[in-house]
Amino acid sequence: MLKLRKLVSAIACLLLAACSANQPTIDESIQSFAGGMPADLSGSWERDYSRSDDIQGVLNSTLRRIYRPQPDSGYPAASQDLSKVVALARFAELITRPDVLTITQDDFEIKVARKDDFTMLCEFYDGYAKRTESEFGAEVCSWNGHQLVSYLVLPDGLLVSHRFTMSGDEQSLHVATTISSSASRVPFTVNRVYMRFEPPESDFNCVETLSMKRVCSTGEITP
Amino acid sequence: MMRFIIVVLVLLLAPAAFSATDARLPTELNISIAMFDPGIPEDRSTHRDLQIFPRVRKIESLYLPFVLRNVLTSQRQWGAIRVVPDSDVAAELLIYGTIVRSDGDVLSLQIRAVDARGHVWVDRVFSGSTDNQELYTEFAASLLAARSMLDERALRNIVETSLLRYAQQLAPAAFDAYLQQNPDDTFTIKRLPASNDPMVERIERIRGVEYVFTDAVDAKFRELSADVATVYELWREYRRKYNQFQREESLRVQTSKSYAERGSYEGILERYEQYKWDRQAAEEQEKWAVGFENEMGPTITAIEERVAELEGWVEERYAEWQRILAELFELETGLPD
Repeated sequence: MLKLRKLVSAIACLLLAACSANQPTIDESIQSFAGGMPADLSGSWERDYSRSDDIQGVLNSTLRRIYRPQPDSGYPAASQDLSKVVALARFAELITRPDVLTITQDDFEIKVARKDDFTMLCEFYDGYAKRTESEFGAEVCSWNGHQLVSYLVLPDGLLVSHRFTMSGDEQSLHVATTISSSASRVPFTVNRVYMRFEPPESDFNCVETLSMKRVCSTGEITP
Repeated sequence: MMRFIIVVLVLLLAPAAFSATDARLPTELNISIAMFDPGIPEDRSTHRDLQIFPRVRKIESLYLPFVLRNVLTSQRQWGAIRVVPDSDVAAELLIYGTIVRSDGDVLSLQIRAVDARGHVWVDRVFSGSTDNQELYTEFAASLLAARSMLDERALRNIVETSLLRYAQQLAPAAFDAYLQQNPDDTFTIKRLPASNDPMVERIERIRGVEYVFTDAVDAKFRELSADVATVYELWREYRRKYNQFQREESLRVQTSKSYAERGSYEGILERYEQYKWDRQAAEEQEKWAVGFENEMGPTITAIEERVAELEGWVEERYAEWQRILAELFELETGLPD
């Protein structure tokens, strides 16, 4: 019962945050799951450029859609959408720039480490999603079948979602990133495909310490 | 068989090298400080929000009793002050604490002090900044204040009750009649054994032997305390800086005005970067916790293993002593245990 209350509270908070900031709403309920996580995404993934979207191409097709005459008025959408969509596209390019994703997963957490960006965090306890929040925004994840969806809710009506889908052979990972803004009627979605790879083994064994920072050795090192 | 005979001979013949009623002043009660409860909530989903790092908390629960012990020792008002792995219910004065909050800025401990009679001297939360010892000195002062309320007779009663509770654990058949446990979990002495009771002498001797091992365990933990001190100070310094960063960043965001248009690239980036910096700072803090644990882990493990060995030895002996005392009691009184 307590867990259910937590879940309802999490959804309510998200919706409240969304409404108060004229936020695009999350189009899925936060789902729960029984047993272990529906999929294991852990591993190292590197971008497959040949199968990933070209931002310019996506932007062009989005703009074409916007400038198509509207069926009701016969006029294209407002021209101010142009700058807003371009802004979303530039931002999407920025946050999907990392070539490598390193995903770690245990019974409670999934962490997606990206170079030059923060590590995305998904927390699930007893099958329920838990929000990570601060005064600057909030992250929450959900499972949609075997797809993991991460939402980042930011002020000014911004919503960034990443939908992770692993292929049946578990060798490729499709990530659809959607940026929505209350300032733009059109969200922007970019698709990236990553291939599983084994990072080369280092000649050094390293361990993080507090007083000496990262300590490396060519021999055995006891944490 | 030979070992049994030696232990019996030690119990029967060896002089009482240790005595609970030694040359101490009545006010100089012996104090046992149990390892603190790390205060980690069972619901691990709360840990991140509460900024609780369980492995660090565990190290703190082993280390902080020594800080308290040092403060109490420096008062020169008490008898032996030992840090013990488990609650020693027969201690003349037992102190145990729970870590309520520990970040770079504030340390809050729920500390309870109970004497052998089961009377609670102090039981409340003490808080203070982590970079000085005000919390411990405040507790130490509370302890002295509580002691000052007791007269010499009451203090002697504590020492006697302590010995009888210890004796009762070892030889219940011989000592059950001396003590009464009240409904409120306090203990009252019903009568005292004769001053030349050979059973009491044996108990005192055994307690002395146990103290030797307790002191060995205590010495092991003291090694840990010395090892942890420097790194722990670094940990607290980092956490202080992190808290300061959070406060400054929050203030900066509240007081600065954004000129970026809502929905513009600059506006979106500004919002994202604020969140990103905040999360990266939190990640850095988690990395420090891992570094702290990595650095102290081997020491903690080694000491815990050694302590477990010593405790195992004492427990083994304890069972043996209980059996032998029961047999001696039966031999001397003709009453079966």
